[in-house]
Amino acid sequence: MIRAYAPIAIATAVLACVPALFAGSPSMMTVVTAGLVFAAYAIAFNLIFGSTGQLFLCTGALAGIGGFGSAILSDRLGVPMVLSIGIAGAAASVVGGALSWVAVSRSLGTIFTGIVTLTFSLAFQNFVLGRGDLTGGENGLRISAGSDGVLDHQVAPYYVFLALVAVYLVLFRRIQRSRMGWAFRALRDDEVAAKLAGVAVARYRIYAGAIGSAMLGVAGAVFAHHRSFIGTTTYGFANVDIRVLVMVAFGGIGSLLGPILGATAFTALDEVLVDYAQLREVLYGVVSVVLFLGFRRGAAPTIVDSWNRRSSRWSVAKRADSAPEADSR
Amino acid sequence: MTAVALDGIVLGLQFGILGVGLTLVYGLGGIVNLAHGQMAVLAAIVTARLIDSGSPAVVAAFVGVVAVSVLGVVLDLTLMRPVYRQQGEHRVLLGLLLMLGVGFVIDGLLEWRYPIEALSLRFQGDPIPVLGVAMRRGSLVASAISVAAGGVLVMLLRWTTFGRATRSVIQDETGARLCGINPAAVRTVVFGVSGALAGLVAITVAMTRPVVSTDGVNLTTFGLIVAVVGGLGSVPGAFLAGIILGVVNTISAFYIGSYVSTILLLLAAATTLLLRPRGLLGIG
Repeated sequence: MIRAYAPIAIATAVLACVPALFAGSPSMMTVVTAGLVFAAYAIAFNLIFGSTGQLFLCTGALAGIGGFGSAILSDRLGVPMVLSIGIAGAAASVVGGALSWVAVSRSLGTIFTGIVTLTFSLAFQNFVLGRGDLTGGENGLRISAGSDGVLDHQVAPYYVFLALVAVYLVLFRRIQRSRMGWAFRALRDDEVAAKLAGVAVARYRIYAGAIGSAMLGVAGAVFAHHRSFIGTTTYGFANVDIRVLVMVAFGGIGSLLGPILGATAFTALDEVLVDYAQLREVLYGVVSVVLFLGFRRGAAPTIVDSWNRRSSRWSVAKRADSAPEADSR
Repeated sequence: MTAVALDGIVLGLQFGILGVGLTLVYGLGGIVNLAHGQMAVLAAIVTARLIDSGSPAVVAAFVGVVAVSVLGVVLDLTLMRPVYRQQGEHRVLLGLLLMLGVGFVIDGLLEWRYPIEALSLRFQGDPIPVLGVAMRRGSLVASAISVAAGGVLVMLLRWTTFGRATRSVIQDETGARLCGINPAAVRTVVFGVSGALAGLVAITVAMTRPVVSTDGVNLTTFGLIVAVVGGLGSVPGAFLAGIILGVVNTISAFYIGSYVSTILLLLAAATTLLLRPRGLLGIG
């Protein structure tokens, strides 16, 4: 029991120290807070893709349903913010569950699920641009709800998002250890065998889709109220989906802390590359190619493996830092 | 109506060539080339630079296409080697991520060096009437090139030994190997062909509208949708899907306009996939 949740406690404790480094700099606080939001997206994506193999290329759109939904509900209709976040999360959950249901009922493969959800993503983008009267279109949407609470300060929102990430991690772990987790592992390892053993593969896939989408919707909604301004790129495909995919793939698909590791690494990379302005995208591409070649199974599993193989923990920590060779086995 | 449908077919043929390049590489090696559109734009920019420096357009376009084809071969021989060593889903995912990185690099380089470069190929002369509709010469030449390229490709795949080898690797890599076919060699050549097709897309698109250095991501996305709707690995499928989606896009843009037309296009793509989960002419 303690062993299962210890990594979450350690990761949360480490992340809780981050504001001590950057508390003086509002811009750095914005960066690290955004990093946590991406960690939350990545955990949700990891639940859907990592646990049940459904390539959802609409994480941004689902978070956007949460963000725009909650903003419109609270600002236009006067729904209290907490309630509007909940409703928007539920809406994202219904949409994600429906997409999952469609993919499962037509037994779409990984790539095909990816393309159907990608078309949904692009359609959502066009909807946001087209219905400017609701969403602000190209000009973006200013949100007044939440602009005078804890979400508006510099350091406090960081801890709000850290709490959200911690809750998501605990949820992820609890699911892993429950009946549902067994079903997820069974259907990922061998779908036919799982079906024959009586696992309701379709139902569990839809569960994963719905729960993960709810997580995306809530994270997107809280982010919208924190930023108090959202535009078309806030939940754009290039901005969210690609980054989340890269983070999870780098961190380790299906692993508990992989998304955190990936989000940390790529947030740091982004920040380092800021100085290179024009060359930034090139370097981003080069570094990601190198990282993917180095960590073919993901950084978290690679590190855990080498941790288990070595008895001395300090030599391991050093090794994990310079890990590219760890994959040579 | 005829005019709109013809415009749709012109666009659809371009979509088709775009999808064919992606579908071949995926069918052979399981690689989703997320840098395909960026490679096309690279060809356009190379051509534009050459034209600027005084080369005749035909020569410039040829060099652009060949350059990207060579890039495809080089990518296959270097970066894709570790990918081919993986199996199943691992291979698809690693290939996809690496090509995504390559896409970033090409996009970044182009936006850094040539942010305002654009390729636009114009043809002198009056429009030519087709079925009672005056069509611009650029559209006709573009379509002719697309049809010719598609025809040559289908014939190569159908009638030549190399084409048979390619199709057998798409069907079953192990079986092909047992028959004495070297899948690695086939993949390298096809990656080159796919690069050339990407270049060709850029040239034909430039005959109907300017290709700018930021077009890469859009081209990749549309190519991906076309390839998947057509059925991954199927060349005729990609052409069929390209034409259908091109016509749907142009007609809905003409009669409905605004953002709804793109949503309709995407809806058409998604619906096709839901009705035929392996794509229009998908295999297996």
